[in-house]
This record gives sequence, C-alpha cells and structure tokens, in this order.
Amino acid sequence: MLNTIIRKLQRYKGWFGAAGGLCLGLGLYYGLVASPPDYYQGEVVRIMYVHVPLAHTSLLAYTVLFLGSLWYLWTRDPVVDNLCHAAAGLSVFFTAVALITGSIWAKPTWNTWWTWDARLVSFAVLFLILAGYLMLRTFIDDPEREARYAAVLAIVGFIDLPIVHFSVEWWRTLHQPLSISMRGVSISKEILIPLVLMGIGFSILFVYMLIVRTQMLYLSSLLNAKKGRLLSQVHLAKVEP
Amino acid sequence: MVAIRGLHISKSYGHYRILEDLSFEIAAGECYALFGPNGAGKTTLLRILATLHRPSAGRLEILGRDAIQEREVVREALLLLAHGSHLYDELNAVENLSFAMALRAASPTDREVKVALDQVGIGAFAELKVRYFSAGMKKRLAMAKAILAHPKVLLLDEPYTSLDETGMVIMNRYIQALLKEGASVVMATHDRIKSAEVADRAGVLTHGVLRPLTREDLKTCDLF
Amino acid sequence: MFFFALIVILVFSFSFSMDQQAARELIAGILWVAFAFTGIIGLGKSFSAELQNDCLEYLQMSPAPKGAIYLGKVAANLLFIVTAEVILFPMFVIFFNLDVVEDLPVLLLIFFLATLGLSTVGTLFSAMTVQIRAREVMLPILLLPLAVPVMIAAVEATRGALNGNPLALYRHWIELLVVFDVVFTVVSFWVVELILDS
Repeated sequence: MLNTIIRKLQRYKGWFGAAGGLCLGLGLYYGLVASPPDYYQGEVVRIMYVHVPLAHTSLLAYTVLFLGSLWYLWTRDPVVDNLCHAAAGLSVFFTAVALITGSIWAKPTWNTWWTWDARLVSFAVLFLILAGYLMLRTFIDDPEREARYAAVLAIVGFIDLPIVHFSVEWWRTLHQPLSISMRGVSISKEILIPLVLMGIGFSILFVYMLIVRTQMLYLSSLLNAKKGRLLSQVHLAKVEP
Repeated sequence: MVAIRGLHISKSYGHYRILEDLSFEIAAGECYALFGPNGAGKTTLLRILATLHRPSAGRLEILGRDAIQEREVVREALLLLAHGSHLYDELNAVENLSFAMALRAASPTDREVKVALDQVGIGAFAELKVRYFSAGMKKRLAMAKAILAHPKVLLLDEPYTSLDETGMVIMNRYIQALLKEGASVVMATHDRIKSAEVADRAGVLTHGVLRPLTREDLKTCDLF
Repeated sequence: MFFFALIVILVFSFSFSMDQQAARELIAGILWVAFAFTGIIGLGKSFSAELQNDCLEYLQMSPAPKGAIYLGKVAANLLFIVTAEVILFPMFVIFFNLDVVEDLPVLLLIFFLATLGLSTVGTLFSAMTVQIRAREVMLPILLLPLAVPVMIAAVEATRGALNGNPLALYRHWIELLVVFDVVFTVVSFWVVELILDS
C-alpha cells in the first residue's frame, strides 16, 4: 500500500521541485537581500541561512533512512531499498555541505575552522557513519544481502547518534578551552522568516531529490537485471547440443 | 505424505528474476533429481529449500511447516550437503563431526561417530586435521555428517563430484537407506547414470522454469 | 595482536617527547588507542574460521539460534581482547611509571566494559563484513564512528582512575559504558539474525 504511494508520488515530483525552488528563491531573497546584517557578525551571518536548514535537512534525510530501513526489513521491497540508498546519498551530501558552510562561517566568527562542539562532532560522526554506509553498499555484490545489511547498519547508526552526541557533550563540558556559544545569532523576526523559508524549501527540495534519485537507482537496478538476463540468455544460446 | 511443498516460488536478486513461479511436491521416501544448465538456478533452488534464502514470492512448506515462520523447527530436520564442505580446516574429522552435531543439538557417542566414519571409508583418518583431506575425503566426511544427523530431508548439491567409484557406491547406498527410513532426498546433479539408480522423479530447470522429466527423457542426449 | 599493541605503545612514546606532567595527560588516550587497534584486529578475525569451506553456510542453516552463535562470538572476542589488555597494561605501567595499585579493580572494570562495548558492535559488523570485499578496512570504518562514545568514556574514566580522582568524579563515564553495553548488546542480539540469516 505504501509502495503504491511512492509510485504515485513520483508523478508529482515536478511540483515538489518547483515548490522547493520557489521557497528557496524567496528565502534567499529575504536572507541575502532583505534582512539586516547581524550586529556582531556582519554579512557573514548570511551563511546561516544555508547552513542551519541544511543541517536540519540532513537530519531529516537520516531519519528517512532509518524509517525506510525499518520499512524495508518489514516488507523486503527492493524499491524501498532504493529509497534508503537515495536517502543516504542525499544525507551525506547535505551533511558535508553543512559541515563546510559551518566551517566557513566559523573562521571569521570564532577565528577557527573547527571546534570540538557536541553538535559539530556529532555531525562529523554522522558523516562518517553515512560514508561507511555507502561504502558497505558498494562492496556487497548480492543486492538482497546489500539491502539487508545496509538496513541493519542504518538502524544501529541511528540509535547510536544520540549517544555520540551526549558523550561528546559531557566531554566538552570537561575540556572546554574557550566558551563558545552556538547561539551567536539572536532570533529576530527578520531573521526568522528567511530561515524558516529556507528550511521548508530545503525539505521540499529534499523530497524532490529523493524521488528523482530513487527513480534513478530503481531504473539502474532494472537495467542491471536486464543485462544479466540478456547475458545469461546469450550464454545459453551458444551451447550446442 | 508430502515432505516438501513449494507453491509459486519465485526468487529475484534485486530486480533480476532467477526462479519463476515454481510449484512442486516431493513426497516422503522419494528422491528427486534436478538437472539444468550451469547458472539456471539449481543451487539457488536448493538453497531456498535449505532455508538459506527466502523466496521473493510464494510459499515453501517442509514437513507441513512453513519454512520461513518456523525456520528453526524445519532446520532440525534438514541437511544440505553443498559445494563447500562446511568443515573447519584446523579441526580433525571427529571434532568437526562433534561440532556439526552440537549445532543441531545432537550429541552422538564416540562409537556412533566411529561407525559413521567407517561406513564412509575414512575411519583411518579420524584424527587427521581436515586441512590435509582431499576433496573426495571431505565429501565422504560430509556424508558421515549426514549419517549422524538423520535428516528427514536431505538436499544434495552435486553429490557425485570429487567422489571415486567406491565413494559413489557408498553415496547411493546411503541415499537408498535414507529413503527406506522415509526421508526425502533432492539432488542437483549432472550425472544421469548415477542419479538414475536412486531417483524416483526428475526435472530440469531452465531459465527459472521447472519441467518434469520421464525416464525416457533421461536416456536421450539433449536435456536442455 | 599483543605485539602489535606493544609496537603502537612504543611508537607513541617516541612521537611525544614526554615529561611526567605531559605524560599523565596523554596516557589514557594512548592506552585506549593501543587497545582499540588491538581490539579491531581481534574483532576482524571473529568469523575468519568460518570463511573456509563455506562454514558460514552451515551456521546459517543450522537450527541453532543465531543470537546464541553471536553471543558465543562476543564472549570469545571479549576473552581474547581483555586478555591482551591485561597483559599489555603492565607494560604501560612500566614504560610510563604509573602508580596504579589502588585503582586496579576500577581499571579492570573499565577495560571490561569498554571492550564489551567494542565487541558487541564489532562482532556484529564483523559478521557483516566477513564476506565482502575490502573486509579488513571496512570493519574499522564502520566500527570506529559508532564506537566514539565508548572511546570517550573509556579514556575519561581511565584518566580519572589513573589520576587518583575519587570515583564520584568519573563514575558517570562508567555508567555511560554500562548503558552503551546494554543498549547495543540488546540491539545487536536482536538484529544479528538479519545478518547471519536470510
């Protein structure tokens, strides 16, 4: 049943794309042009309009990966597995860009490229978990086993991430060299609107990219199947009695 | 009494369909020989029967129980002798047999183990590490494992490869004894002559489709 | 495994030219890096015996519950790795001139709990990676990010014990190890069937 929902949803992917683009466009306008620069941080704060929504969207993608993995283990539908693979790829991309934009923001603001803040380290660990997930999928040849093992990895990783966050948080309170607050930006209305717009925009864009990427993976596995069948038929046809 | 019942079993790897809508029944005390070209899916079908793979669609019943829901019960009665001998190189023959039986919650006495090893003709090598066994000896040790396990369903993947004349005679004799006890045997093989001695029915698997064979078919040259 | 860890310790002592003060701060970290590498080598071999002759297939189709097989492997890994740690630790004490007699029980507890944490997830991932390409490198890639809480907790708890701090100061790290162990033993036990079975 949910399967047919996915299949029906992909007709409307264009709408998702357009809606996402629209939100992002509006958000970028408000963020880059219409809102005021921050009192302390100047123009640099505008990176936050990209960094924060990206971070949230990557966590959204990770949650989709987790739920999708559970769903795959329940139904064993290969399309759901394609969805998980797509979600992981998108999540790793969003995480990487979030980390990079965060780093770019941090240098002028805190005069450091990196700090051992709980959120940053958790995101770095998230990136590594996702990279490991994608590598695992690459190295397993059997598609059914690949799907199953990847689903297990996604579930274990998802359960672990909050524990990672807590442990780094505790560790940070012990070894804090300088106290840096992540909340360098106070939320006023002019800042909130573009932030929310960008958040919604990225989320909708994520749904669009998820649908497209799932389709790509589905079609490529269909192609591989056809190739395999074609090759086996050619092989059998060559056998002379 | 039906020992194995497959209903509309298909198997796909991803989107690649290997087995198409197979339905079959194998009775207790019956031996079924499965032929087919390389890559046709014989091993896959055997592995599904051994509950190593789940069918992508369809239902498999072994001894009246669903092979997926009641896996653990079904596996107590099943044994697959596959291409890999399932033996640990660092252990000797007796230790391998004890471990293999322990996993089936069976503890055969030393005497039973010795008798089984003698029956398959490797009694002299009981204390030898399996690393030094030849392929044929490993096959015979696998047979000894089957003797100790008393399976109700025995699955054989190319049982006659690597065996010498004596080994093949022992194999067929063992299969016949097992069939008399009321167990069922399914074997995937390329050897028409040897399998004809023990098989009651046969079929050929091509392109994922199973076609039954008669004794006349077996005598002609071209199966597929 | 043991000699590898010994070499790691030696390399670390050459890398940092240490006086007593600096050494104290770094010891716990060096110890656990050495133990982690040792552990990974040990965990990588969990299922290596099953690779010959398709033994893994036999485990898969045996009626034995996969959870039981998993726990057996975890117990074996735990035994080997903790033994290696117990043999290595005196080397540390000697090389870095540590004063540990009073804290020994706590230290052993920390070793056990942290190794259990690594073993539960490590054995699960070892089962996952045993049959794939690049298996030696995939196990640490998958395990280490997930084991971050174990490493942090182990290092902090060991540091607390070695510095002679009162237990109350660092016991929350030990509690974190216990929580991690419980959560991941249960989760791994529950999902290992999906790895070792179809």
